Amino acid sequence: MDIAELKAELETLHSASFGWALSCCRRDRGEAEDVLQTVYLKILEGKARFRGEAAFKTWLFAVIRKTAAGEYRRKLLRSLKLISGAEQPDDRASPELGPLATFENSEVQIRFQSALKSLPARQREALHLVFYEDLSLREAAEVMGISIGSARQHYERGKKRLRETLVTAEVAYGISWRRKENPGAV
Amino acid sequence: MELVGEEKKIQALFSELRLADNQTLPSFSATWSRAQERGLRPRRVFNLPFAVATALLICALVSLAWWSTRWQHTQQPNVVALTPSGVVPDLKPSEVVPAGGKIPAPSGSEPKKPISAVHRFKVSARLRADRLAARQEANLLAAAKKQATAISSWRSPTATLLSSANDDLLKSLPQLNESTNDLKSFLPNTPK
Repeated sequence: MDIAELKAELETLHSASFGWALSCCRRDRGEAEDVLQTVYLKILEGKARFRGEAAFKTWLFAVIRKTAAGEYRRKLLRSLKLISGAEQPDDRASPELGPLATFENSEVQIRFQSALKSLPARQREALHLVFYEDLSLREAAEVMGISIGSARQHYERGKKRLRETLVTAEVAYGISWRRKENPGAV
Repeated sequence: MELVGEEKKIQALFSELRLADNQTLPSFSATWSRAQERGLRPRRVFNLPFAVATALLICALVSLAWWSTRWQHTQQPNVVALTPSGVVPDLKPSEVVPAGGKIPAPSGSEPKKPISAVHRFKVSARLRADRLAARQEANLLAAAKKQATAISSWRSPTATLLSSANDDLLKSLPQLNESTNDLKSFLPNTPK
């Protein structure tokens, strides 16, 4: 596959790749962009090479996952270094969210995202790959580098835990809402 | 994958999330060009943490080697001190260290196997250590022997008081077949 073909494939999968990068970076947009850039750079330099052993999307997602894990480790090291020194301001400009800000402010989405964040990484990844990226469990397992049995377990447990967290959050939200409306009620 | 009931709810939530993400999606061309720019940027060749780690490793190895040689030096005198004083085995340095500094091969000749470089290095290091230890032992034995000789040839300062003019008479015995006259000659102030 030459570079032009690769570029075309990457362009087609760009939005899905960004979504997956966001999930791998715990929904940190700046970090997700950095990861995506690094992935493209790896592909350009031939450090990540597609050999046709899996579907292109599966391979690309696996590269994104590994790159995000590496970036996370590096970031952790950097933060450890900064602990001893003076605190530096975050030079990354906060992204302009625009319409997203209003969307994310919706209570349901806030609760859903916090519930997703509370899940263990593997469970969150399994759910994201199946529900967000519309991958099969087999493909999800390939991306995560685990067996299909393990992927199924993560998927099932993730669903269960997400439901429980959402229900708890809804109940808590209901109580707090009722408190706001009628402080003497609860 | 067919979704039912609760899964459809989760799917709907994820769909909403995807829609929101698409609204803030960075353009592909911008991301691609930035990646290309990053690739063109010269990279720092000197990696400080790697250099520091390497330097520390080298220091540790050198200190370990130094410590092990020091340890060998301190162990040798203790071994000699344990040997009983005065009992000096009559060993010559040439007997301790074989001629040419090589350990003789065992009598039963075995078929030679190819020796790896690491094994050869280990053997040569062991030989060198053995040779050094043998030389030190020989030096210590020679010094002990010299000391023993000095002690055996020592004479008391009052030893001259024990000698007299009649030493010959006192220290020699008369023969049984000698005549009485001859015996008398031993006596002082006696005409012969």
